[in-house]
Amino acid sequence: MNWTQFLFRLIEPVVPPRFVIKRLLLLIPVLFGVASVVFAILHLAPGDPAIIIAGQRASAEQLEQIRVELGLRRPLWEQYLSFLWDAARFDFGQSYSISRGNSVRSVISDRLPITLELAIYGQAAGILLGLPLGIISAVKQDSLTDHVTRIGALTGISVPIFWSGPLLILLFSTYLDVFPTSGRIASTLFLPDTWTLFGRELPLTGMITVDTILLGNTEAFLSAAHHLFLPAVVIGVYSTALISRMMRSSMLEVIRQDYIRTARAKGQGAKITLMKHGFRNALIPVVTVIGIQFGTLLGGAVLTETVFGINGMGLTIVTAIGVSDYPVVQGTVLTFALLFTLVNLFVDVTYSYLDPRIQQ
Amino acid sequence: MTQRGEPPRLRQYVAARARLVGSGLVVGLLLGGLGMAGWTLYTGDARSSEATVFALGALVFGFGLLGWSGSILAGRGIEAMQEHMDTRSNWTERDSRRAMARLCGSGGGIMIGTSVVAALL
Repeated sequence: MNWTQFLFRLIEPVVPPRFVIKRLLLLIPVLFGVASVVFAILHLAPGDPAIIIAGQRASAEQLEQIRVELGLRRPLWEQYLSFLWDAARFDFGQSYSISRGNSVRSVISDRLPITLELAIYGQAAGILLGLPLGIISAVKQDSLTDHVTRIGALTGISVPIFWSGPLLILLFSTYLDVFPTSGRIASTLFLPDTWTLFGRELPLTGMITVDTILLGNTEAFLSAAHHLFLPAVVIGVYSTALISRMMRSSMLEVIRQDYIRTARAKGQGAKITLMKHGFRNALIPVVTVIGIQFGTLLGGAVLTETVFGINGMGLTIVTAIGVSDYPVVQGTVLTFALLFTLVNLFVDVTYSYLDPRIQQ
Repeated sequence: MTQRGEPPRLRQYVAARARLVGSGLVVGLLLGGLGMAGWTLYTGDARSSEATVFALGALVFGFGLLGWSGSILAGRGIEAMQEHMDTRSNWTERDSRRAMARLCGSGGGIMIGTSVVAALL
């Protein structure tokens, strides 16, 4: 049995492999479309890559030589096909300026875990707070708790990150001095590049909280968690608000269904009925929101990382656009698109597990 | 059941889709060719004209492709949501898919048309 057969055997009881294959195949045109749009935007944007690389004082001959080396003198259709081929192999060449001389792939592999860590903590905060708040709000409809939760959710959805971020820094870092303003770990702490498992040296993940656990460094873990708290809260507020709102409306719809009334009439306890019959059915539309939300979190990371000075994918893309580092822009945008589509695939699979009618 | 003389189902299937994308492709070819020639006459620089018009074609093509796959991925869900929320707007997954396929063809046509005229100039 090869690994694909093993994977299909594994997912078969949850969701039909045919459904997953169909969804996976649809990812190809999505990524192909994103790559085409990225190519178009970068060719329509002003700026000459040769000048960015060689500088303003370079001679005309030097600039022409760089253009030839970069393949910018080839016909456009050739450049386009070569770009698509490189994108399919995830090879975007070398960075022009933000990490000059290094491959875009290495820039992305360095910074992606930082953004993923931030998005995962933000999403975790959103799910852990949003789901219970939504359920409580639905069960205690029109009570003070419900009103407070709803106002909180509305505020969370309405407040943009570029406003809430600096405001929280001002309150918790400048006035109260509880959390640091920027960075990922205290400047006095240094982490090695590898960790040891059964005598073997393995590379670290790049996610600082995970790495500190792997290294068994409690002091560094606490410092990393301390540094990550405020950015994760900022990025998670919107998520919490949206999930709680969605959960409330979905739960309200479910608890009015006949099967809930029947379960209660048969003598089942209110809490068991709610969690056993209500929760799973109410979760279906919420799962979709969580998936879409994860994409928004990746977008939110651009703002959060800029506000908190975290050197992840978000800050990289902003800097790369600012200095016209096109290969890095192409690579980061396509990575974001790939992540977003993979998360949506995961949501589709979860959705079809929760509601098998979707598979039809 | 397929009767004698009636074209096979696969051929019908392919022909219908080819017509859809092909009509967009023809429009795109004309737009790309004319756009490239016009832009070159206006700016006097064939290379930059090719870059601009080809990139616009790629933009249309990419947008069409994203729209097409998006319609397939989420179209039924959007239809159901509109029905569920009682906000029907006559938008259907099928119409969206067809429109996006045509747009995709147009984008491809613009890119081909631009490249052909650029090679001739």
